[in-house]
Amino acid sequence: MQTDSSWVPILPEQASTLAWHVDALYVYLILISVAFTIPIVVAVFAFAIKYREREKFANGAEIHGSMVLEAGWSFLPFVISMTIFLGGAIVYYNQVTPPDDAMQVYVVGKQWMWKVQHETGQREINELHVPVGRRVKLTMTTEDVLHDFSVPAFRTKADVVPGRYTYLWFEPTKPGKYHLFCAEYCGLNHSGMGGYVYVMEQRDFDNWLAGSVSGQTPIEQGRDLFENKLGCASCHAGGPAQRGAKLENIYGKDIKLVGGQAVTVNDEYIRNSILNPGAQIVEGFQPIMPTFKGQVTEEQLLALVAYIKSLSGVTTPATGGTTTTTGTTNGNTGQTNSIGTQGSNPNAPSSNTANTQPNR
Amino acid sequence: MASHAENGKFHYHEPGLQHQFEDMGQQEESVSIGMWVFLVQEIMFFGGLFTAYLVFRSRFPLAFAEGSNHLDAFWGGLNTLVLIVSSLTMALTVYYAQRGNRNMQVIMILLTMAFGATFLGVKVIEYTDKYNSGLIPVTGWNKRANEAQPAVEERAGAVMPWETAVAAAESGSEKKKPYINPHGEFQWNYGRHVYDYAIEKEKSGKPYLTESERVGYFSNGVFDPNKYRDKIRIFYFIYFVMTGLHALHMIVGLGLMAWLLFVAWRGDFSALYYAPVEMSGLYWHFVDIVWIFLFPLLYLLGRHFLH
Amino acid sequence: MQTQDGIIAEQSGIPKQNYLTNGTTLKSWLLTKDHKRIAIMYLITVSLFFMAGGIYASAIRLELLTPPSDLLESGTYNKVFTQHGILMIFFFLIPSIPAVLGNFLLPIMIGAKDLALPRINLLSLYIYWIGGALTVWALLQGGVDTGWTFYTPYSTTFSNTYVMAVGLGIFINGFSSILTGLNFIVTVHTMRAPGMTWFRLPLFVWAQYATSLVMILGTPVIAITILLLAIERFAQVGIFDPSIGGDPILFQHLFWFYSHPAVYIMILPGMGVISELISNFSRKKIFGYEFIAFSSIAIAVFGFLVWGHHMFVSGQSIYAGLVFSFLTMVVAVPSAIKMFNWTATMYKGSILFETPMLYAIGFLGLFLIGGLTGLFLGSMGLVVHLTDTYFVVAHFHYVMVGGQVIAYLGGIHYWWPKMTGRMYSEFWGKISAMLVFIGFNLTFFPQFILGYLGMPRRYASYPEEMQVLNIFSTAGASVLGVGLIMPVVYLTQSLIAGKPAGDNPWMFPGLEWRTSSPPPTENFEVTPVVTWEAYEFSDENGLDIDEARRRQAVTTV
Repeated sequence: MQTDSSWVPILPEQASTLAWHVDALYVYLILISVAFTIPIVVAVFAFAIKYREREKFANGAEIHGSMVLEAGWSFLPFVISMTIFLGGAIVYYNQVTPPDDAMQVYVVGKQWMWKVQHETGQREINELHVPVGRRVKLTMTTEDVLHDFSVPAFRTKADVVPGRYTYLWFEPTKPGKYHLFCAEYCGLNHSGMGGYVYVMEQRDFDNWLAGSVSGQTPIEQGRDLFENKLGCASCHAGGPAQRGAKLENIYGKDIKLVGGQAVTVNDEYIRNSILNPGAQIVEGFQPIMPTFKGQVTEEQLLALVAYIKSLSGVTTPATGGTTTTTGTTNGNTGQTNSIGTQGSNPNAPSSNTANTQPNR
Repeated sequence: MASHAENGKFHYHEPGLQHQFEDMGQQEESVSIGMWVFLVQEIMFFGGLFTAYLVFRSRFPLAFAEGSNHLDAFWGGLNTLVLIVSSLTMALTVYYAQRGNRNMQVIMILLTMAFGATFLGVKVIEYTDKYNSGLIPVTGWNKRANEAQPAVEERAGAVMPWETAVAAAESGSEKKKPYINPHGEFQWNYGRHVYDYAIEKEKSGKPYLTESERVGYFSNGVFDPNKYRDKIRIFYFIYFVMTGLHALHMIVGLGLMAWLLFVAWRGDFSALYYAPVEMSGLYWHFVDIVWIFLFPLLYLLGRHFLH
Repeated sequence: MQTQDGIIAEQSGIPKQNYLTNGTTLKSWLLTKDHKRIAIMYLITVSLFFMAGGIYASAIRLELLTPPSDLLESGTYNKVFTQHGILMIFFFLIPSIPAVLGNFLLPIMIGAKDLALPRINLLSLYIYWIGGALTVWALLQGGVDTGWTFYTPYSTTFSNTYVMAVGLGIFINGFSSILTGLNFIVTVHTMRAPGMTWFRLPLFVWAQYATSLVMILGTPVIAITILLLAIERFAQVGIFDPSIGGDPILFQHLFWFYSHPAVYIMILPGMGVISELISNFSRKKIFGYEFIAFSSIAIAVFGFLVWGHHMFVSGQSIYAGLVFSFLTMVVAVPSAIKMFNWTATMYKGSILFETPMLYAIGFLGLFLIGGLTGLFLGSMGLVVHLTDTYFVVAHFHYVMVGGQVIAYLGGIHYWWPKMTGRMYSEFWGKISAMLVFIGFNLTFFPQFILGYLGMPRRYASYPEEMQVLNIFSTAGASVLGVGLIMPVVYLTQSLIAGKPAGDNPWMFPGLEWRTSSPPPTENFEVTPVVTWEAYEFSDENGLDIDEARRRQAVTTV
């Protein structure tokens, strides 16, 4: 965390569009606290001095109470607390409502590291690179226990819960390197489960993306799998050996299946055809394609889908409009789909296999 | 009539009066408020379990109905009847205690205890059936049957004419199906009638699955019997914890009755002093009422699906 | 005005026949039905747990002197903070004022001979000992590292520590709490002396009553939650594991449904003590009696409606969050009402600055900050940034330590003469009160700043730039520690050589001051008949002030 000054830091840097909202609320509350504390402390001290016992066992004045005062100091705190509530609610609503045009990033927490994956395929561990001025939405889950993705400079955090997705969004305003902490106790190395968020100028971010860790773009990776590693080309590459359906220029079009149904070729369909080829067979073809379930990882599926789309001239990254999120697209934190259905989400753990051997 | 010397003064007090009280009225009032407060906290204790039930049933109603259908409503109903009658005998115990009728008190307490024991006996029958059918949610706690020598199990409970079609069909098919459970795991071999019924209804346009169910029963878009079984296992977990806790309270109740029997036999109770009987009665009625709630929530789900 | 026979009796000196001398065998103590003896046994046990919890706290602060996790390994540190929390919350704070001061004083304050159900009271004590013993055994075997909050799935499936044993210890201990609450409720309803109407009750009694409501309604829920947790851990099947369809957030809801009201158990009794201290040491009727009484009940009731404010970032829906935030603001208002009433009580009073009053004034300042920072945490926009950080740690220490512990110490000092018949050294009392106040602020105020900076809770290691604030905090903790140990010394010393206190050293009107110090086993020689209002500092109260002045003049030659 970069702090400009001092020997003793008081505030973290403000590095997101929401940071000053939160700080404003904080200052407001401090002012209210001071406004209540000073009169009470002054009164207590003043009374203590002025009304100390002068004669042994002398009694104080006979005052029982005052309805006016009671009403006053019930009503005033109530009104003030309502202003605090409203201010807080407005800021909160903004904080947890990710905008639709946000850049997607996927995060998986596990004991004791953060695994981050960008839509374009780049993967990071315990780090997150984002461009300044772009809205970023994190879709998060965990493989094992509760964790919490916390970035104090952005003034935001959210728990990650096993079995469901939670969300976080921010728009960074200032390039820099900011602390990332895990803020929900998760066991042995909870204190060490952190890292940094790097906010970069757009140009630097693009450079970073290009020279990224994974090396290949998804499309290149997909071609590699298609032609070499998985042997799809042996049936789908065209030529006399073609036994599988043609894959060029089919994306987005409707095709007819055995049994008469028609289906639109989208990411979901492509993915299902690789994992469960017998379910939706193109008319005129035999049910002879083997399933690749268990032989491809989610990232590889993503790459294959990207490659196959590129055969139709479609080169935007996989996922996007076809996510089958049940529930809301604006992603209120809270309930959304649990893990079972995810079609095109690259980071969806396919099963919760993370339970270690339990001890009593 | 009790009197004794205290600091050289003679001191009369009513029989059974504790020394911190001024008179019997104060003692009775105190004991009564105390017992009611105790019962209120017992309600909160069971309340946590009812909350868990509420949450999971609203998320997975089909699995709950499926699991509930396999519970034997006959035995459950019999237990309900038994407890209601035992509450009657308990109330009569209080009645006779107020009249100082020692013999009738003792008879009524013995009857109450008999009904309580019957209740527990029926629970043993039910739990044994679950053990034999692989329905205890904990791995290793069910009957194991070697794959090499599968045991063919008869259903332990009687099949009554008013049983559901599901149960009757099951019991028929079960006699043919071998029971194989080498690890003593929770098994669900009883099909998915309720689920199938719901899917039929869905096809005709009525949405029958909850959001959680649309996700929770499926893997990769296909119905996953293991995930369905997991939800049914949650039902059985809640069933066992709730009825187990209730049975524990029943055992405590029987202990209380045994003590009461001893004191009633001594002839201690009369119009002047019968609060212990009344308080024990309150506890017994409470245990009864908890069962009245448990029975329909656990045993009677899903019957409307099939009619 | 009527005077009771017992009031002027034995103004000086310790009566030969009192509850302490009535039976001196171990059996007479362990099988006693006397609420006062039970209170003393609770006092000893509770103090031992406080010291154990304090040792864990020292380990935490020592470790946090330096950024890396060098003094303790992370695994050990995790156990240390967990056990600090468990011992302090379940075995010290929750029993403290109710089981020690409540048990001792409630019957006397209402003019009764004992609680309504003395054997249940003894059972409460036994259950407390059994639960405590099981927990201590488990800690010695290796302890737990789940955090006192036991969040699933870490506690059910991942932790390799003695979760079940400690859980069962806490489960058992819960029944001690429930039975104490039950006893208090019955006693206040049925055992009041003639003339002691509800609105003549001391506010300490109202506070205990409100606390008891929370105890009986809330504690069973944590009991069933822990039971479900233990079953799930043992059987590896349950309702909190998502991989078999369960829900970890359900655990959080069930847990906090009790644990939020529990924090009101950990402040309401303290507020009751403060009402006594401020009113009596200002020699003036409390300002707004009915308002303070009803605000205690309001806090108890509303306290059950706000549990979700512990779960704002857990994945709760926005709308649930809004409701809980609103109600959290509402529940703050009764506490504010009390603060104002206490301050107003001092106006035109005749104030004494004995040690208990110093603690009470300290409470006013510390609870004020603690309560106000609660508003910070109830405000949703802010809480997302502040939750799970040291801000929360600072907040709850201000209310629990700055609030309840300070009130407990004030109460112990205030009623020490009544319980033991001896006065302690006022000089050392005042010194230690000031050390506690200064040390406490130095320890916990920097933690607010650390929290806003983003330092998460339960961290053994932290970023370099946060070290200076942590050093301040540890320095303060050493001062606080000294301040807390001193009473052990001078209070024990007073038992041996303290000046005899007399029935009513300050001539206060409460019923407890109208019997000897220490009281006889049956509390009063004759059942009192109450004809004066609460905190009656006027001639109506039946105390002979002139006689007291004369006696005072004679003894201070």
